[in-house]
Amino acid sequence: MPNLNFLRIKLSCLLVLACGTLSLAQVAIKQNKPESTPLRQTIDKAVQESWKKEKIKAEGKCDDSTFLRRVYLDLLGTIPSYDVAKKFLADQDEKKRDKLIERLLNDGQFSTHQTTLWDLTLFGRNPPNQDATRNRTLFKQWLGEKFTKNEPFDLWVRDLILAEQEGSELYYAQFTNKPEDLTESFSRIFLGTQIQCARCHDHPFTELLQKDFYGMTGFFVRLVVMDQGTSGSGEKQLKKFKIGEKNSGEVLFSGNQKELKPGKKGEPIKPKFLSGAPLEEPTLPANYKEPEFKSGTKSMPKPQFSRKEKLAQWATAPSNPFFAKAAVNRIWSQFMGRGIVHPIDNFGTDNKPTLPDLLDNLTEQFIAHQFDTKWLIREIVSSETYQLGSKGENKESLPKHFERARIRPLSAEEILTVMKVAGGDPEQKSEGSTGEYFRRYFGEPTNGLGDFQGSLSEHLFLNNSSNVRAFISRKKGNLADTINLSKEPWEQRIDQMFLSVLTRLPKDSERAKFASYLQSEPKSENLVEEAIWVLMNMSEFRFNH
Amino acid sequence: MNNPSISGVCKKSEHFSRRALLKGSLATGAGTAIPNWGGLFHSQSIASMAQKLGKRCILLWMNGGASQIDTFDMKPGKATAGPFREIQTKLPGYKVCEYLPKIAQQVEKLGIIRSMRTTSPDHPDGIYHMHTCYKQSERMPHPELGAMIAKYLGQTDADLPSFVRMGPTGNAGSGYLGPRYEPFGIERNGNMPYFTSPYLPAANESRRNDLLRFMEAEHKKENPADAYESHRVAKERAWRLLKAKSLFDTTKEWPKHQELYGASDFGRGCFLARKLTEAGVPFVEIGQENYDSHADNFVCHKANMQILDPAWSGLLIDLERTGQLQNTLVVWMGEVGRTPQINNRAGRDHFIRGWTIVLAGGGIKGGVVYGSTDADGRDVATNPVSEGDLFATIYTALGVNPRTKHFVGTRPIWATPEGSKPIKDLLL
Amino acid sequence: MKNTAASKSVNFEKATLLWSFTWDADWVSAVSFIGDKHFAAGNNLGEILVWELPEKPETIGEPLSEKSKPADKSERPLYLSPKPVRQMIGHSNIINRLLCAENRWLISASNDHTVKYWDIEAKPSGMAKHVLNARTIEDINRNKNSGRKPPTPLEAEVQTQAATKTIQGREWIIGASLSQDETTLITGDDAGQVVMYDRKTGAEKKRWQVKDWAFAVAISPDLKQSLVSERYPLVFDSGRHTAVKLWDVATSTVQHDLSKEFKDMQIASAAYSRDGKILALGRGGEGEGKIFLIDPSTGKKIRELSPIHQYGVTDLCFHPDGKHLASTGRDTVVRIWNIEDGKMVKELGKPRGGQFKDWFHALSFSPDGTRIAVADMAGYIHLWEFR
Repeated sequence: MPNLNFLRIKLSCLLVLACGTLSLAQVAIKQNKPESTPLRQTIDKAVQESWKKEKIKAEGKCDDSTFLRRVYLDLLGTIPSYDVAKKFLADQDEKKRDKLIERLLNDGQFSTHQTTLWDLTLFGRNPPNQDATRNRTLFKQWLGEKFTKNEPFDLWVRDLILAEQEGSELYYAQFTNKPEDLTESFSRIFLGTQIQCARCHDHPFTELLQKDFYGMTGFFVRLVVMDQGTSGSGEKQLKKFKIGEKNSGEVLFSGNQKELKPGKKGEPIKPKFLSGAPLEEPTLPANYKEPEFKSGTKSMPKPQFSRKEKLAQWATAPSNPFFAKAAVNRIWSQFMGRGIVHPIDNFGTDNKPTLPDLLDNLTEQFIAHQFDTKWLIREIVSSETYQLGSKGENKESLPKHFERARIRPLSAEEILTVMKVAGGDPEQKSEGSTGEYFRRYFGEPTNGLGDFQGSLSEHLFLNNSSNVRAFISRKKGNLADTINLSKEPWEQRIDQMFLSVLTRLPKDSERAKFASYLQSEPKSENLVEEAIWVLMNMSEFRFNH
Repeated sequence: MNNPSISGVCKKSEHFSRRALLKGSLATGAGTAIPNWGGLFHSQSIASMAQKLGKRCILLWMNGGASQIDTFDMKPGKATAGPFREIQTKLPGYKVCEYLPKIAQQVEKLGIIRSMRTTSPDHPDGIYHMHTCYKQSERMPHPELGAMIAKYLGQTDADLPSFVRMGPTGNAGSGYLGPRYEPFGIERNGNMPYFTSPYLPAANESRRNDLLRFMEAEHKKENPADAYESHRVAKERAWRLLKAKSLFDTTKEWPKHQELYGASDFGRGCFLARKLTEAGVPFVEIGQENYDSHADNFVCHKANMQILDPAWSGLLIDLERTGQLQNTLVVWMGEVGRTPQINNRAGRDHFIRGWTIVLAGGGIKGGVVYGSTDADGRDVATNPVSEGDLFATIYTALGVNPRTKHFVGTRPIWATPEGSKPIKDLLL
Repeated sequence: MKNTAASKSVNFEKATLLWSFTWDADWVSAVSFIGDKHFAAGNNLGEILVWELPEKPETIGEPLSEKSKPADKSERPLYLSPKPVRQMIGHSNIINRLLCAENRWLISASNDHTVKYWDIEAKPSGMAKHVLNARTIEDINRNKNSGRKPPTPLEAEVQTQAATKTIQGREWIIGASLSQDETTLITGDDAGQVVMYDRKTGAEKKRWQVKDWAFAVAISPDLKQSLVSERYPLVFDSGRHTAVKLWDVATSTVQHDLSKEFKDMQIASAAYSRDGKILALGRGGEGEGKIFLIDPSTGKKIRELSPIHQYGVTDLCFHPDGKHLASTGRDTVVRIWNIEDGKMVKELGKPRGGQFKDWFHALSFSPDGTRIAVADMAGYIHLWEFR
């Protein structure tokens, strides 16, 4: 299969694309039937070949405990309860992992988790236009339905671009009057291209030019965000929007930011799909006057020619060299940690895929399977590569050749959920500010390079907050309570604690230590709370591994 | 300029959001790169060099923007002068405002830059720019001065955090340097932020923490990855901080120092800063509220200067007395200066074409008045100084390379912008 | 400001702007009648000029300066203004207050830390020249593109005199007030010192310290009680560190602490009614210019006047008839109130354009109550007559 370096696609090729026709001879991606070899095997083969080539010794398969916790977190964003864990570990069925995967993929929480992940991707932790984006219930509802139906990836992204369905408009509303910011976000997320450098000058490392950036912006410059009203107040304040599109409006390009002089006028740039050819569109009559948009307008007629629709078509087309590849790379990284191209949103001549053939393969198969996200995820987590062990000498979080399972910090949402489950009351109501604290202290744990960094405030919060303590301290029916009331020997109770919190059994040394700890005083209540706190504060608990 | 819709009346809601930013997480907006590259790092040799020198930095942050024409760059007799009068300083021919009498006595320690010419005129952008020397609009996660100093002058195994701040301060955080160098905010009387009071008795804490250490040691045997180690290290730091908490408590000592620093929150904060730097904290920032006098400029500045004067001079005197001054750089600045023109609210508005920042202490040649503005104070006359030049000077004084390089994704980023030059006249 | 003489009955409804005296060297910050025939004005430079009012106003002339063209033609002064005749030389900084006693003694309180006495009957010792619209001419000449022609210079030659007495203080003397009977002068400064003097001799009678800066000071007609408001403006608009207290003069102790009632308010002006039964307080700064009438014996609020001044009160003054109160503020509006029912009977002036208005800094009633003089920061003294 020819190696795709999409930045060098011939101009003629793109012109053809822009006109909406396909020529199989010219387009390098095949529109095949799904392959007969399961994708998981293709993955493993490619990865193992690279180990041979790099002479790397990889970890073996991870144990059941590790797998159980890992896959629960990755698919559902939570950990299994004590009962589930106990049952799974005792199960002798050879196919139990596959069956577990299947169960989880069909669990309602799977689509919730995917929705959370994509919502965070599309909005980030501190989205602009906070008044509108603080409460994203409608958006998440819209997106949630897509995942519940397992809507093909290309179709829901197309719906996002068209922004005609209720709830979907919020993505654009983030960037009201800021089409450049929207362009950056869109290109980064869906085209795997970080073009913000090209906003101010020609990109230093790729072949992207400033005109390419502004060409992309041309698709968004005519969009109008129309406020449909606000309901509720305070935290619950919900804003609704509709997206309109004008008939006219151009991006004005005025050259390198450094050389900008006051009074210099910009020249209009025609929209184009990154480095492709400009969009062909009918010209407006010379004396066309755009009706004035009055603020407070709630609706407007569709334009005669919609750039937005053209973008939706082009962006999600199987023939778009950026789209499917970026999607596959991103979904891969959700589970494998590191993208095949890494950073996942920075494809470029200086950032080559570690396994180019595999990436091509994944891309083609994703397209052949009609962008079936669930299928892709199933294949990834069923692979041996995903199920590698997480121990070993390698100190990296994201080993370059996937020779060990990746280590990633749990998100703030996951930690909050997981503490509740581990504490034995998954439905526990937390006091109002708790979510906010978790987001604040656990929300951004990486430095500019994406490496995890433990922060002081996170640990002060864990150490001293009543919010965290609420999940641990004894309440009727929770873990602390059960342990305290149980008549079982301490060794068994310790096993229960470990299974509940860490989804594994203790090592002998650990069990012994805990046994002595928990019996060091006649009354066990404080000791039990302290012991559970210890387990929840371990680095093992903090990460998915 | 008087732009009422943005900054004319500094509404309480504006203060709120700034405070929220201070407490909140790093700002990585939707458009920012999520970088993850094993980039080139210049840091190791710089860090060890700077640490050897044992330098410290205290930033006195004049929130709102103090007026240069009412402090260090008086224009007597001009229409723009206002009701403040000058007093003589120890530098012949150089006068300052009558409401800085104690600082006038300390002028031999000061390096006064009267020719700041900066480019961010408002509060959020000005605060960002003067804390990071980069424009906020670039949408890169720049670290504040404090975070950079924490990284290069801090000790990795210190009990105390390396970047401490009090009062109204910066809004950029530790940026691409990561949460390890995030600012640790406390109150000016030393009261700690949330979650610094353990709920367990000391003995229980101790045994519980030991159990955790045991578990981590077991875990580490087969799991040496950096991420886990980072987590473990941070936890130990948090515990050490809680142990050293008492250092922040100035209740007993403050009455003795109150006369020197002045009986104010800000004064007390300066005293605490002196204590912290003495204990090895490399960077402490204290904010003073509030110089943003778009109305009633003179009474507002007078009140604030009466607090500033003893606190700042007290700090310098105290640093000298304890032998710390030659290794402690004290920076006095706000986000903007103020207009020579007095508006019809008896106020002065924001002004960035020619204003004053003052350095003192470690690495700085004192008794130097650098640069000047024209007769009315409407523009810089000699030696304009940019944000980058200022930071280059500060970094050089502290032994940190101003062109220290990091990577954000694939994009290289330097501690100061290209072309930034340290001011030689101010450096020892 | 106050006068023992009974006043003619005055019809506030009919008010005419007789003169707008131009003097734009700097903000006109204080004003006081000296008898019915003279008035003095002070400015931010510390200059004090005195004008003599003619028996018969001259016939209509054009407004003398283009600096602020009132939109409403009825706001134009009726007559050409006479020129100032005297300058009181001595102060070097902002004149905060001008007071008058015995229709002869002008008393000024300044940021130059002094209070000075000036005798209108003293012999002048020198001469000085002033160009009353110099700044306007300068501004127009500087903006050559505006196309406006500079007006003819308004030259005035004045006799000058020095102060008869100077009382030295330590800080800006912001508050100054005379008792109803003019025997006692009370001042307040930014060192928090409140001082009472025997007005005639200038001898200090009493002194006490308040916590923050003394802002507005007033003394009751029976000389037993004093109002002192305090401020320490660390933030320009939030009114932090404020206090309002009624003091017992004899013991220098607080009778009523009204600070909670007036939380966050900088009380910029205070005046006792002639019979001592009402104390008017005006909130200054940039907050809402509220005016309160309180009962000084209890400290309780009697009423709040409405409509409020936009952006803060600068001065309050009771009319010689004892029944009316004049207020002005940072909105270039003067309001005359009937203090019995709290209703506004007349409004003079109009707010000028822009989000933040210019100020009227101070006002003064003539002893016979027929005229009011108002200090305008734009460089005028406006004088209305009620007939």
